[in-house]
Amino acid sequence: MTTISIWRWPTPNGLPPLPLVAALCAVLGAMWFTASLVEVDWVHLVGSLGKMAAFAGHFLVRPDWEYLPQLFDKMLETIEMTVLATAIAIVVSLPLGVLAARNATPHIVVYRVVRDLLSLMRALPELVWALVFVSAVGLGPLPGVMALALVTVGFMGKFFAEAIEVVDHKPVEGVRAHGAGWLQVRLFAMLPQALPDFVGTVMYILDHNLRAATILGLVGAGGIGYDLVMAMRLFQYDRLILIALAIYLVVTLLDRLSDQLRSRIIHGARA
Amino acid sequence: MSTISIESVTKRFPNGFEALKGISTEIAAGSFTVILGPSGAGKSTLLRLLNGLEIPSGGSIRIAGEALDKGNLRKLRSSVAMVFQQFNLVDRLSVVTNVLTGRLAHRSWVGSVFYLFRTEDMDIAQQALARVGLTDKAWSRADKLSGGQQQRVGIARALAQRPKVILADEPVASLDPVSSEEIMGLLREIRDRDGITVVVNLHQVDLAKRFADRIIGMNSGRVVFDGPPAELSPQALRTIYQREGMEHDNHLDLALAYA
Repeated sequence: MTTISIWRWPTPNGLPPLPLVAALCAVLGAMWFTASLVEVDWVHLVGSLGKMAAFAGHFLVRPDWEYLPQLFDKMLETIEMTVLATAIAIVVSLPLGVLAARNATPHIVVYRVVRDLLSLMRALPELVWALVFVSAVGLGPLPGVMALALVTVGFMGKFFAEAIEVVDHKPVEGVRAHGAGWLQVRLFAMLPQALPDFVGTVMYILDHNLRAATILGLVGAGGIGYDLVMAMRLFQYDRLILIALAIYLVVTLLDRLSDQLRSRIIHGARA
Repeated sequence: MSTISIESVTKRFPNGFEALKGISTEIAAGSFTVILGPSGAGKSTLLRLLNGLEIPSGGSIRIAGEALDKGNLRKLRSSVAMVFQQFNLVDRLSVVTNVLTGRLAHRSWVGSVFYLFRTEDMDIAQQALARVGLTDKAWSRADKLSGGQQQRVGIARALAQRPKVILADEPVASLDPVSSEEIMGLLREIRDRDGITVVVNLHQVDLAKRFADRIIGMNSGRVVFDGPPAELSPQALRTIYQREGMEHDNHLDLALAYA
């Protein structure tokens, strides 16, 4: 029988590449076997839908407008923590990013050490670092900022380094050939090329940090999180809905801002 | 007096390819030298060695009497400018900032950290842009310019450096004939007016004949011709462009018929 198939993959024999198929099967198989371990139970999942709906019903309340001034204060504190932590992280991450980029590092050993340092910073989530710093310096926004900044350096340093690693080598050579020094080459040839990526990273991280800052209050590290948890525990849904809306509003505004800023930087100021 | 002296220079790349098999020559101060040769002859490698972008495997290079080595690379580069085939500008920076990077060799990193330049550097950059006729484009982003204009920025960057030597690695290979003419004219004028030594790699035999004082022909890592353009006979061109293992090369005959 000569059935000529219409469909084929762009491989020599027309079949999907074997390693890909094998990897896919392995992942699916692993998920199948472990599903019972992590208690993914379809019956339970569907059965919970009713409870979810009942819970959502609690939000159909008149918002507690009296709470607005305090919400505003706490939200402002959250934003301040976010911006401050991100700003500190940018200043620290830029040099670390250069040291952790294969094509910009002064030595391969420095590259390895900085990379490992960055992953150490990222290893624990903000909340855990916040616990550590709350124990060290006491309650309030300060340990929150410290925890946020630390984890952010871990991520931003890595992202910056990767942005530097993909810059075009030709302009780098162009600047180097004219006798620019080590730092000058990095500042004038690599940095401008990596800038759009940097801005993208910073905007993403601001977004992420804002959300991270909202939960740091959980462990007493300042921000809206404390109010959020208290409202949840005391079943104050009239406050909860305001807090949730406020967070959503700020995150959305930030997103708009980041879109504008990015297109400005990528396409130039007047384009 | 010679600006550049090259003494039995060899270059072998880590993959084992021997790009230069012993080159020795002197390039006189204030001369306009064109290096001709087929792709892969080692022209670019030679030029890159002169700027320290590659380190020779053997032999030595002296520029204005000073030997080129890792220690004085930056100092020597401050007097050797380079113009590239792909222009190698920083696209996202303004034209004038690109030209200003030609001044970096003469300035310490302290100001550079804040992207600060001296006012005199700005004057030099503006003069250089005026020389290449791009004053009105000074504040445009480099990637908004046409190829010919970008190459003129490349030349302005080289000029801003106030070099003794300008090396140009196939500066017109990505340009149309009119822009090519313009760029070669600019390089020639720079040699004539400022007395800067110019060394150009070229693929175009006719441009080489018209602009050069001296032509160096290279083939598979060796110098196979060295003389004034008048001596560049069809026979000499055959030697320069011959391909290994080809007794009678129809493509070569055809190409040289129009050279």
